[in-house]
Amino acid sequence: MELSTLPQQLINGILLGSIYALIALGYTMVYGVLKLINFAHGEVFMMGAYAALFASWALGYTPNNALTGSNPVNLIVMLLASMTFCGLLGVFIERFAYRPLRTQPRIASLITAIGISLFLQYGGQLFLPSSPAPNIDGKVNPFIGNLEVTLAKGAGTSAAAAADIQSKAAVAQKSYDDWKLSHKGADEFNLPADGQALLNVKHDTDRAVRDLKDRGDSGSLKLSVPRGQFIMLVTTVILMGMLTYLVMFTKQGRAMRAVSHDFDAAALMGVNVNGIVTFTFLVGSALAGAGAMMSATFLSGTKIDTFFGMLPGVKAFVAAVLGGIGNIPGAVLGGLLMGVAETLVVWLGYDNYRDAIAFVVLIIVLLVRPGGLLGSSKVEKV
Amino acid sequence: MTFWQTRLGSIALALVFCFSLDQFALHQNSFIQRLVVLAGLYVTLAVSLNLINGITGQFSIGHAAFYQVGAYTTGSLAGAFFNKAHLPGPAWLILMMFAGAIGASLAGLLVGLPSLRLKGDYLAIVTLGFGEIIRIVVQNQKALGGAYGLTIAPRFQAIWLVWLLAILCISVSRNLLKTAHGLPFLAVREDEVASSAMGVNVTSVKVTAFLIGSAFAGAAGALLAHFEGFISPAMFTMDVSFIIVTMVVLGGTGSITGAALSAVLLFYLPEKMRDLSDLHLSTIVAVGICLVIAVASIKRLMDHFHGEPRKRAGFMAGVVMGAVVLVPILGALLNNFDPLKTSVEGSKLRLVVFAVTLIVLMLLRPQGVFAHHEFSWAWVRKLFRGTVKAPEGVA
Amino acid sequence: MSLLQLDKATIKFGGLIAVNEVTFQLNKGDLFGLIGPNGAGKTTCFNLITGVYRPTSGEILLNGSSICGNPPNQIARLGIARTFQNIRLFKALSVLENVVVGGFLRHKTGLGSALAFLPPAIEETKRLRADAMDLLRIVSLDHVADIRSADLSYGMQRRLEIARAMATQPQLLLLDEPAAGMNPQEKEELNGMVKKIRDEQGMTVLLIEHDMRFVMSLCERIVVLDHGEEIAQGPPSEIRNDPKVIAAYLGEAV
Repeated sequence: MELSTLPQQLINGILLGSIYALIALGYTMVYGVLKLINFAHGEVFMMGAYAALFASWALGYTPNNALTGSNPVNLIVMLLASMTFCGLLGVFIERFAYRPLRTQPRIASLITAIGISLFLQYGGQLFLPSSPAPNIDGKVNPFIGNLEVTLAKGAGTSAAAAADIQSKAAVAQKSYDDWKLSHKGADEFNLPADGQALLNVKHDTDRAVRDLKDRGDSGSLKLSVPRGQFIMLVTTVILMGMLTYLVMFTKQGRAMRAVSHDFDAAALMGVNVNGIVTFTFLVGSALAGAGAMMSATFLSGTKIDTFFGMLPGVKAFVAAVLGGIGNIPGAVLGGLLMGVAETLVVWLGYDNYRDAIAFVVLIIVLLVRPGGLLGSSKVEKV
Repeated sequence: MTFWQTRLGSIALALVFCFSLDQFALHQNSFIQRLVVLAGLYVTLAVSLNLINGITGQFSIGHAAFYQVGAYTTGSLAGAFFNKAHLPGPAWLILMMFAGAIGASLAGLLVGLPSLRLKGDYLAIVTLGFGEIIRIVVQNQKALGGAYGLTIAPRFQAIWLVWLLAILCISVSRNLLKTAHGLPFLAVREDEVASSAMGVNVTSVKVTAFLIGSAFAGAAGALLAHFEGFISPAMFTMDVSFIIVTMVVLGGTGSITGAALSAVLLFYLPEKMRDLSDLHLSTIVAVGICLVIAVASIKRLMDHFHGEPRKRAGFMAGVVMGAVVLVPILGALLNNFDPLKTSVEGSKLRLVVFAVTLIVLMLLRPQGVFAHHEFSWAWVRKLFRGTVKAPEGVA
Repeated sequence: MSLLQLDKATIKFGGLIAVNEVTFQLNKGDLFGLIGPNGAGKTTCFNLITGVYRPTSGEILLNGSSICGNPPNQIARLGIARTFQNIRLFKALSVLENVVVGGFLRHKTGLGSALAFLPPAIEETKRLRADAMDLLRIVSLDHVADIRSADLSYGMQRRLEIARAMATQPQLLLLDEPAAGMNPQEKEELNGMVKKIRDEQGMTVLLIEHDMRFVMSLCERIVVLDHGEEIAQGPPSEIRNDPKVIAAYLGEAV
């Protein structure tokens, strides 16, 4: 845990969070119109990653025949393939698994959702390549290298001072080494006073060198983002902009808001509710598809298997609840917070608990503010 | 017959059943023994989850967590104290059952508390999350063996105790429903506001349900740990929770009979599937297609025969027969396509079967096979007569 | 001392004052009516009394001691039972079982005894079922005791709610629109039934009703609410001729 790496971690968290936000939007939109937690959403995300994988293979990036060189058009083809496939899958699931149960208690749909999710996870293993888990060939991505931003830092260290620190450290190291040579067999944890003093000096100078490295050689703070992930962030922002336009300024969007406000009243007012529900699943699932394609392509070393969607799905769900489920800006905020929370847990050194943090956050939110950050909790009418 | 005669008689009957099952299993190979034990444990798990989900109407999908807490509590206790305790096997095992139950019910209290505020799907997610947290925490504890698991020193093959626990769990649930004390639980399921207006303390009812349910799961975990002699976090994943939920839902939420029977069935069927070493993918696809057609036609046409049980049964039989004939033909046809020629291990299909069962069941009979019915002779008689007399004035 | 006393009970939801400084008192054995146009705050008053909401200000006293801040189940224990405007029966339970739930407060044996199916719990169950059957006779539902309560007709469901509330053996029975959706004959029967409950069981009854004829013929004293404010109080004959009440129901004379 180094304080100076915190800004970089925050940026990593936002990058991760943008993917969570894309998935969370699907949860929140579906919950908005149907009051249903679409448990299978994470698996739609997983199928999106496969769609992107197959698209990349179709474009010629097979494991045995990796094309060299690539252009952004390939990425757009993959993105569209993934979004289209997921959108249609979402619509299909809604039509055949949720719609027949709309008049039943909500638990029935929830159980079907679990069923679909298990079916895609385990049934997918029969048809999809999963062991050894494939990954999208890195050469698909033309945006290699890092974007680096250097931030000036007030208390910078000049080159001369840096050289001075380096040389002091070298001297301290040398004198301690010399002392050790002359005192063979000294117990490192129980040194005589003179040896201890030399060791202390060496520790101090070493720390100074480490600090120097963290600040950068010219006393500045360096942040770096892989170019691909930068493109990912930009695409996410564009998609969210499009969604906002769709929901706020189009007829479809207005109908969607009406349905989410009052399903039955919207139907009475002549809104084609089934059409809107289908449309919501289409849009929400397509966003998950976009997220899947981008995380499978731009996050390095991503392996795809049929459980690919499980953890991102759960975390995105937590993000949706955190922001206030049913609330679109809430999902984005929740997603970003979840991403940051997760990288912070890793930064604090609890790597093993990075998957548990989502549930901890969830339980705390539900206990403290069940409506979420931007949502409002409803009171049951008696 | 007095009350105590009946009571002692039924206890004796339960003991005789358990010990004869024990004797029967002892003469079989270890695979069958394992089946008998795990079936008993799953009956306990399903019936105890039914108490939380079916009877009290909470939606917990993290039951494996309590199972795990029970197993690990007793696992670590056995490591620390078994050699010092100098207890005979069965006594130790019964003691451990209680220890597991206490450990798990403390965990149940912990989960029960958020349930005071949460309903339905939110509670489901919290219980799921809680289960995952416990698993991840255990995975990272070196003292508990981490991801590699924990070996439990004394191994006991007490099949009789496993089934005694299952019977105890069933009778506790049944007793609850037979007395007036069970009604507040059902009332909370039906309407929380109205129950609290009747003086029912909704909070304490929910927490009690969680306590009892998780205690039984914990006891089952203790027996599992001592039967297997080894436990690891991989034995208590989300899938186990989902399987238990499937059992409860398949049986009919709220029906003890349903939960117990479907636990045995859903446990036994996938175990059988391990034997199916190679299945042609084409056959699986054919089964899938036939299933979709069957479900769609049943869903469409069932309403036509509403109130005519004979025609309904005939129609169902027709659909099933049709599917049986269609599957091999379709499978043979599909086998001509290249990608479908590959074969799959039968064991890979286990969870697919669960998934398909869940979906088909929800689409065709959301209330579960037994719905809210319990096994009773009166019910069987009614089923065969096929009609229910409605008193006058009932809408 | 009065049985129930509302002293300037007020509740605000955000900016809306749903009930504003309502004050009235019920004596033991009263047959009291609470009327007013839609949205006047009648059901909110019930929710205040039964602890669903906590008043923003003011006091509610039962037998002289404050009951504000108690949760609903505690208030039921103190002796106030209610029915609901939008019927809230335990739908999957039988008619008899619905009423037995109302006997929850009289459980003397513990849960342990029930789980072990010991004689005390069995005896108690028998006793509670017998009590419930008696109550069903009062509301003449004994012939449908084993039917699922969701399958009852509307009027029967309303009567079952009353029986269920009575099973808690309350001192005060709150009935929220008990006659809603009933035909004239059923209303006539209900009228007799409520009087009988008061006279024979000694319960005090406070009821909300829209049907003026029903209220006027049944209640001995009436409070009228409009827009959360109390506009009149008194015996039916006075209320009938009160210009404020007429204005509230029919609008101001032009």
